[in-house]
Amino acid sequence: MTIIDRPSTDVAIAGGAPAGVKPSEALGVFKRPAASTSWRDWVVTVDHKKLGIMYGVTAFFFFIVGGVEALLIRLQLISPDGKVLNADQYNQMFTMHATTMVFLFVMPMAAAFANYFVPLQIGARDVAFPRLNAFGFWCFLFGGLFLNSSWFLGGGADGGWFMYAPNSSTLFSPSHGIDFWTLGLQITGIASLTGAINLIVTVLNMRAPGMKMMRMPIFTWMVLVTQFLLLFAIPVITVALFLLTFQRSFDATFFDVASGADPLLWQHLFWIFGHPEVYIMILPSFGIISEVLPVFSKKPLFGYPIVAMSGAAIGFVGWGVWAHHMFASGLGPVSVTVFSMATMAIAVPTGVKIVNWVMTMWGGKLSFTVPMLFAIALVVQFTIGGLSGVTHAVAPSDTQQTDTYYIVAHFHYVLFGGAVFGLFSGFYYWWPKMFRRQLNDALGKWNFWLMLIGMNLTFGPMHILGLQGQPRRMGVWTEGRAGEGFFNFGFWNRVASIGSFVLGIGVLMFLVNVLYTHKSKKVAISPLDPWDARTLEWMTHNPPQEHNFDTIPTVGHLDEFFHRKYETDSLTHSVKQVHSAEEVMAELNAHPDEHIHMPSRSYWPILLAMSLPVIGYGLIYNRMLMAVGVSLVLLTMFGWSMEPSTSPDDDFDPPAPGEGGGHTKELSPLG
Amino acid sequence: MAETAISHGHDVGHGAHSSTGLSNNKLGMWMFLGSECLLFGGLISTYMLYKGRVNVGPQPDQIFDIPFTSVSSFILLMSSLTMVLAVSSAQRKDERNMNLWLVVTALLGATFVGGQVYEFTSFYREGLGFTTSLFGSSFYTLTGFHGVHVSVGIIMLMALVGMNRNKRIPGDRAEVVELIGLYWHFVDIVWIIIFTLVYLIPS
Amino acid sequence: MKKMIDQFGESMKTARRWRNASKAAIAVSALSFVASCGRDAPQDTWQPAGPNAERIDNLQRPVFYVAGVVGVIVFAAVAWSMYRYRDRGQAIPEQTHGKPAVEIVLTVIPVLILLGVAIPTASTIFKLAETSDTEMTINVTGQQWWWEYDYPAVGSNIEQYGITAPIVTAGQLVIPENTKVLLRVTSRDVIHSYWIPKLNGKKDSVPGRVHLLRMEGSKPGIYAGQCTEFCGLSHAYMRMEAVVLSRADYDKWVANQLEEYTVPEIGTDAAAGESVFIQQCSRCHQVNGLKNSDGSLNIAAPEQNLVSGAAPNLTNLMTRNTFAGASWDLLTPECRDNVWNASSADFGERYLAGVSTECLNQKDLREWLRNAPAKKPMYADPTKLASTGGLYRGMPDLGLTEDQINVIVAYLLERK
Repeated sequence: MTIIDRPSTDVAIAGGAPAGVKPSEALGVFKRPAASTSWRDWVVTVDHKKLGIMYGVTAFFFFIVGGVEALLIRLQLISPDGKVLNADQYNQMFTMHATTMVFLFVMPMAAAFANYFVPLQIGARDVAFPRLNAFGFWCFLFGGLFLNSSWFLGGGADGGWFMYAPNSSTLFSPSHGIDFWTLGLQITGIASLTGAINLIVTVLNMRAPGMKMMRMPIFTWMVLVTQFLLLFAIPVITVALFLLTFQRSFDATFFDVASGADPLLWQHLFWIFGHPEVYIMILPSFGIISEVLPVFSKKPLFGYPIVAMSGAAIGFVGWGVWAHHMFASGLGPVSVTVFSMATMAIAVPTGVKIVNWVMTMWGGKLSFTVPMLFAIALVVQFTIGGLSGVTHAVAPSDTQQTDTYYIVAHFHYVLFGGAVFGLFSGFYYWWPKMFRRQLNDALGKWNFWLMLIGMNLTFGPMHILGLQGQPRRMGVWTEGRAGEGFFNFGFWNRVASIGSFVLGIGVLMFLVNVLYTHKSKKVAISPLDPWDARTLEWMTHNPPQEHNFDTIPTVGHLDEFFHRKYETDSLTHSVKQVHSAEEVMAELNAHPDEHIHMPSRSYWPILLAMSLPVIGYGLIYNRMLMAVGVSLVLLTMFGWSMEPSTSPDDDFDPPAPGEGGGHTKELSPLG
Repeated sequence: MAETAISHGHDVGHGAHSSTGLSNNKLGMWMFLGSECLLFGGLISTYMLYKGRVNVGPQPDQIFDIPFTSVSSFILLMSSLTMVLAVSSAQRKDERNMNLWLVVTALLGATFVGGQVYEFTSFYREGLGFTTSLFGSSFYTLTGFHGVHVSVGIIMLMALVGMNRNKRIPGDRAEVVELIGLYWHFVDIVWIIIFTLVYLIPS
Repeated sequence: MKKMIDQFGESMKTARRWRNASKAAIAVSALSFVASCGRDAPQDTWQPAGPNAERIDNLQRPVFYVAGVVGVIVFAAVAWSMYRYRDRGQAIPEQTHGKPAVEIVLTVIPVLILLGVAIPTASTIFKLAETSDTEMTINVTGQQWWWEYDYPAVGSNIEQYGITAPIVTAGQLVIPENTKVLLRVTSRDVIHSYWIPKLNGKKDSVPGRVHLLRMEGSKPGIYAGQCTEFCGLSHAYMRMEAVVLSRADYDKWVANQLEEYTVPEIGTDAAAGESVFIQQCSRCHQVNGLKNSDGSLNIAAPEQNLVSGAAPNLTNLMTRNTFAGASWDLLTPECRDNVWNASSADFGERYLAGVSTECLNQKDLREWLRNAPAKKPMYADPTKLASTGGLYRGMPDLGLTEDQINVIVAYLLERK
């Protein structure tokens, strides 16, 4: 997928050979990798757009893995006493399904969009720490592969994604699955943490002139909130995972009840991370549809400051509701009441968002493109998930619902109907930006309707199943507890299983669409501004060159791009177009910036990230291998710190041929 | 590194343009330290929950040697002072003093880590192993994590001195020293909290 | 825009319209309502059969209705704007960034609704946690993968209910009608969760902690439940049943549980079964009063064989209707229906009859005795017990012969 056109520099013309690198820059073991257009460039790239695409492709791969796991689960439950999987395989399947979807699909897919579009939306040339950004991606990839390698090495983790102690100790889970799980999540956790620091600094520090916080596109806002949540949530799960690793590998006693340990410690640590995690998954999608709805309603986002602030409020209050996952855990009535109230309180900013989306559409001029359809479906389905969420904010009623399929229904409406639909809306909306072609509309509608119907067929019946008392995480259900009549388990389990395959075909249609769009000769190149968009990322080429903007725009408004295209009559409030997108760009680029200085490629991020799973395998199988891994980490860190983040050869002026400039003074070993 | 991506041709000066006025590196370091607060928060909470839970092996007050740990804490505290001197020398471009204070800081840090190693071995001899009790597991984990942080700081300080000798510090030297200083002070402050909660407040 | 404000305003003002709106909402939320009307749904969360579950039900129904109303309003607003404001070639709309008045109103409304929900929620939480008026106490212990019930001979248990010696059973919790029973829930290995939906919400059983859960049934009958905290391999096979008996029947049940051990008649299959039981089963399974051949009392030592350190007490196995973590019935399907579908008046008598020879579900019980881990997933392969130091998690395959199984079944049939 070499879709991005790199501006050709002298080095690139030299055919990828590192000839252009002066030995003086190659301070480490390796010569500095030079620019090229071959696959090698993807390995050493630090370009946030390429990394964004790599995040996306990898996350989609894991989406398919997690989806196949989900289909196996539904096959097993299609009839009573299912025989597709045995009990052990089933437990691994639902553990890995959740782990994969949460950590290896939704989070990194949101990271994909954040990486690609946040710098573009704020008018920056790259992220703050480009090599750290590459390192984050490779940690995610190798962490995910490490985690999934457990399938071939004795089986996946079998303790549920929440991995409650003491069921996660070696006494109760003797296979290595949970070791792979803890270490794999540590590695992907590094990706999340470095990504969070990177994006926060990018957004806070690298906005284009005039881009005040309250002029930032709402997607960037939601990403900022998400990254702050990650920044503070990841270390908590890191502690929990360390404790569990020390327990499993070094016989520490943290969750050993015989030594006096309290199993609720794990639950608190896990959910202090786990609840912010829910918002980490959903807020980026809220951001995406808050971009899409205004564009296709031809109206600004209704109540922009309130949407931004309610996102921040969700991010803040989200820290005070973790124990609502523990209403049945035996907390006292006072704690239960406090967390019950806090959970209801968080429904308010969430409800405010829904109201603002509806009000954005209200009075607009709506065109029902595929991204818009996904966005509207998110509003509706998230509302269902939100309302069922309120029913279990009511703690006594939650004691009937928790750990039943009602909860499964709830969070799939929130996470599939919400987060995933938002991501698909983003695919269709930003595809022409990233790949110069619009995804096919007819196939897109098939994609949408099959997913919508499939999703509701799959998860809708689970409301009924849960209220009828079918518990979660059970490899078999029995006729003896299924009940009779229209609402028995049998019928609705069958509907859900069939629905899951409709959903699977729906997702497949997306891949078909991608193949068709890029293989078919008939698909034309997308116009510069296919949707009549409103924000800065559309004010540059499709796809943007490596340096994003020939000229960094000076921002005077929220929805800057729209304001450059349209004028409002101050008396009649009527709006008319005064410039085309091409004209806006031509005007902006009349005086392109000179001496644009982009960060240089590096081998170190991938090498450092590759060393981490070596430690993991070493910890599980052989302590000598672990020592090798640690040495590799130290060596690569040393090499990294000795390498300047840019080599002078990567300096260029966009329209004119490159001029060597020596701006390497501002380098530091960190980034 | 960072600044390169935002040099807009007209203001190429390094670090001059940033929306907050802080350099990316410094802002990034602050964010990292913010995240570290939660890491130590989690570890300290675990310790506080478990410090009294001893089925076998010694209780905290049976093995803690407060005078010894007070001295080593004081040494670590002093290293913050020398770190400040190193940063101010770096900012005055006084290379000789900067090197001197960096080495002194690293030595003080190493003394502290040495004290910790001594303390661990003597606790172990008195019957407190990593797996002995919940107190043992959580004590060694908490102080061990802190010790690793100090050690990482020492490595960074020594690397800085070494790189400075070869004139190889990439970027703005004063800023690099300041960044490592931030980290060092953070680790010191964490120790003050640990020392107070673990050693001084009786279980 | 203005229209919408008016609409909201009017619907707030006009009570009649408000009623219409809630009618529509009730029609839609009927789906979940009808769900509660499924016939014979043993674990239905909307069919309370005791005051605790009723209290929850009284709280959750209005919440569902309110949620339904809110949902309908949102869907209607989305549908209406999709229809009314679709692109029909109209001019580009005014670029309004929001109207503070609308936003404040639309924020205050959910706040008020949630306040309306929050107050009864808080009071219900505290009511459900009330334990000071307890009339009977039962210790409930979860382990992989069954529940043990221990009726301690203390306080009101002795004075009011004649439990003069501890009664230890498994599989079925038996409680007297209209009695405030307090379960003291704990665990011997991992976390489980105790849940009888028709009697109360669930409560986790956590090793090292005792959690309190109130149970009260207002009508004789059997109420099904399932362990709802994931507890490892055989989580799906960890079920339970609560049996509510009238006071008179309960007294009979207690008296029967406290009866002396009946020695099988010499020469019968049951007598042969007793000696096989002593060789093969009594290592783990306690039968109160069972004597070894040398006349000494036989005391089971499950802690030497099992991780959890306990196995179901089989003293009165045939007074309960299920075995193996309530995963299989001891009754044939017809006999089972006879008990489960009995009227309140008949229920006690039919339940107390226990399992007769004709009613015994021979198939499942024999399969279980033949090879238990083949029927229910358990960690019982003797070659794979390194991580537990040789202790089993669940019942191993004992390699019993068909003859041995015959006599054990005969012996067990007398345990009632």
